Amino acid sequence: MLTAFLISVGVMCAITTVLAVLMILADATIANYGDVRITINDSKQITVEGGRHLLATLKDEQIFIPSACGGRGSCGLCKLKILEGAGDPLPTELPWLAPDEQRRKVRLSCQVKVKNPLRIEIPEELFNVKQYEAEVTAIRDLTYDIKEVRLKLLSPAAISFRAGQFVQFEVPPYELSNEPVYRAYSISSDPGKEDEIEMEIRYVPNGICTTYVHRHLKTGDKAVVNGPYGDFYLRDTNRGIVFVAGGSGMAPIKSILHQMLNEGNRRTARYFFGARAVKDLFLLDEMKDFQSKLPDFQFIPALSEPGPGDDWSGEQGLITDVVDRCLETVDNTEAYLCGSPLMIDACIEVLKNKGMPGELIYYDKFA
Amino acid sequence: MKQTPEMDAIQRQMRPGVITRDGFLGSDARKLADILEFDNAEVNRLGLTHEGIAARMRELRDAGRKGIGLATRVDPHFEVRVDSVRGKLPCPFGHAGLVQKMNTTVRNLAGGREITYTDLNIHMIGGHGFYEGRGSAFRLEPSELKEILEIPESPPPPSPGMPPGLR
Amino acid sequence: MTEIGWFAIFFSAVFTNNILLTNYLGMCSFLGASKNVKTALGLGSAVIFVMTFTSVLNWLVYHHVLVRLDLVYLRFIVFIIVIAAFVQIVEMIIERVSEALYAALGIFLPLITVNCAILGVSLFMIIREYTLAASFAYGLGSGVGWAVAILAMAGIREKTARSRIPRGLEGAGITLIIAGIMALAFMGFNGMINLN
Repeated sequence: MLTAFLISVGVMCAITTVLAVLMILADATIANYGDVRITINDSKQITVEGGRHLLATLKDEQIFIPSACGGRGSCGLCKLKILEGAGDPLPTELPWLAPDEQRRKVRLSCQVKVKNPLRIEIPEELFNVKQYEAEVTAIRDLTYDIKEVRLKLLSPAAISFRAGQFVQFEVPPYELSNEPVYRAYSISSDPGKEDEIEMEIRYVPNGICTTYVHRHLKTGDKAVVNGPYGDFYLRDTNRGIVFVAGGSGMAPIKSILHQMLNEGNRRTARYFFGARAVKDLFLLDEMKDFQSKLPDFQFIPALSEPGPGDDWSGEQGLITDVVDRCLETVDNTEAYLCGSPLMIDACIEVLKNKGMPGELIYYDKFA
Repeated sequence: MKQTPEMDAIQRQMRPGVITRDGFLGSDARKLADILEFDNAEVNRLGLTHEGIAARMRELRDAGRKGIGLATRVDPHFEVRVDSVRGKLPCPFGHAGLVQKMNTTVRNLAGGREITYTDLNIHMIGGHGFYEGRGSAFRLEPSELKEILEIPESPPPPSPGMPPGLR
Repeated sequence: MTEIGWFAIFFSAVFTNNILLTNYLGMCSFLGASKNVKTALGLGSAVIFVMTFTSVLNWLVYHHVLVRLDLVYLRFIVFIIVIAAFVQIVEMIIERVSEALYAALGIFLPLITVNCAILGVSLFMIIREYTLAASFAYGLGSGVGWAVAILAMAGIREKTARSRIPRGLEGAGITLIIAGIMALAFMGFNGMINLN
């Protein structure tokens, strides 16, 4: 009886062990992708460890493709042209790819697994994008709902960016969110100071990042950003400049003003800053400072809904009405707009009605 | 009630911290399929359709946009304030396309009641019949939408009925 | 039982004794993954592969281990374990070869493990006392038969996707009715080969 029992148990164990060994072998061979070669822009070649998604693999190689969702396939920002080696688009990619994109072999790099040698194309400007580890050196309140966050860059210790560009700020898991998420914020600091960046972050109810920044982030905390991204920057011409930006939209404008000061730019510039009430105004002293130091710059704040106790003698009304009223001419002028989508759309309409050609109206679009 | 793995995946996207800080389910412990069915029945009971509700929400939002954040008077007796912030959000239902972050607050001056909804709410209601879970700060009760936005009842869709040969 | 040629076994497993339409085994994946032809083809190929090789493996384990050591009563557990391990390996292969197919099959790939048709084939070959060659033919034939059935169903469902189906019968209801009609059609093959 006992021998029969032992034999049966022994045989079961033997069979399961043999099968387990077989599966380990299979895992090590079939599921092991080994080293894979990726050819970029038909010139650069890198050899990487296969098996992970292209987005993460490139990140390890210090090539940062933009992404807001961290690789979950829900933002559509990580599109890349993959000419060879990626197989057919996955069901998770197809909704994001228009028919002509599919024909041009555009894929979502966060969904494509690196298994076979790949031939991919990466836009040149992305090679300047790096991931920076930084430390929070200051957080100060600009208004009741906007905080200015200053980061000192640790590694790499210097960033070179054009005034007007933005970075992607990584929100680590906290409280109820358990995966990192990325949000874009314009850099508001002086491009000449390469070891630090500043951002203006406004609290948005139910926002994952703004809640983290306003309720959890402290000086001394570590932060990760990658960038710089974006093509919102001051064009090198002699035209007059009109800035229109409200709230945290001031960030890239402030950075551009620093740049103008640094290079002794003499262009005529008007900055129309739209806010609701006096409590929404901030950095007024800094703007006065720019006014005094730049040869032809005026800062024109306008309130659309002054509060009961507000003692306001400046411009009043919707920012678009103020621009319409106060902007003397649009001849030989270019416009730089930054702020909420509604404000930008309304401003474009006003400026076009005044005769400004659409190509000279630049606005910050993150995605 | 059991639901498909696809619904499970969508419900996971609705949890706090994935797309928004508080998620879309509030304190609702039901399965997404049950939430959708319950609200669908409620909307039918009120004599409305999801598309009809979304269309009215859109109509009021578009009427109030020009104010760019200022309260705008909309006939016959509404005050609409539309705010927007930069950035876009994906829909938890997992299809492509991002929705702008826009908040519309409609105050019905006749009744004095007020309701706030986002562009994502409009899309989730019109496209998926989803009004968010009970307990969510952005939950929209169909009955409140009907009352405050004054949505007219629509005729019920014709039922399939018997094919001609079998009558 | 008389010796039957392996070709006859193969042919009967595909048509006259179709594991799905005659023995009604393997229905869940059949109903769930037959919405379009491409997925059905992928799943059908996977099932052919698994059925053929597990029937051979199980035959070997049964006759050289279980029977020899008088452990025949363990056959159910052992067969399932062998099938499970094999399906894992097939999953790895599919993921490697075609990520798109792997994503399209989704949950149905690991579900092959509990597909009763696979276990059924192994048990039938024991009951019918097939030789190794005959088991190979039977496994291959059953797999092909299952694949033929699911492909036919997928073709039919793709064509009827736009038809007006009575409300209560949408989905599983009409699919089962179609399966029943298909089984009736396959009954026409009865008597072609006598398997005893």
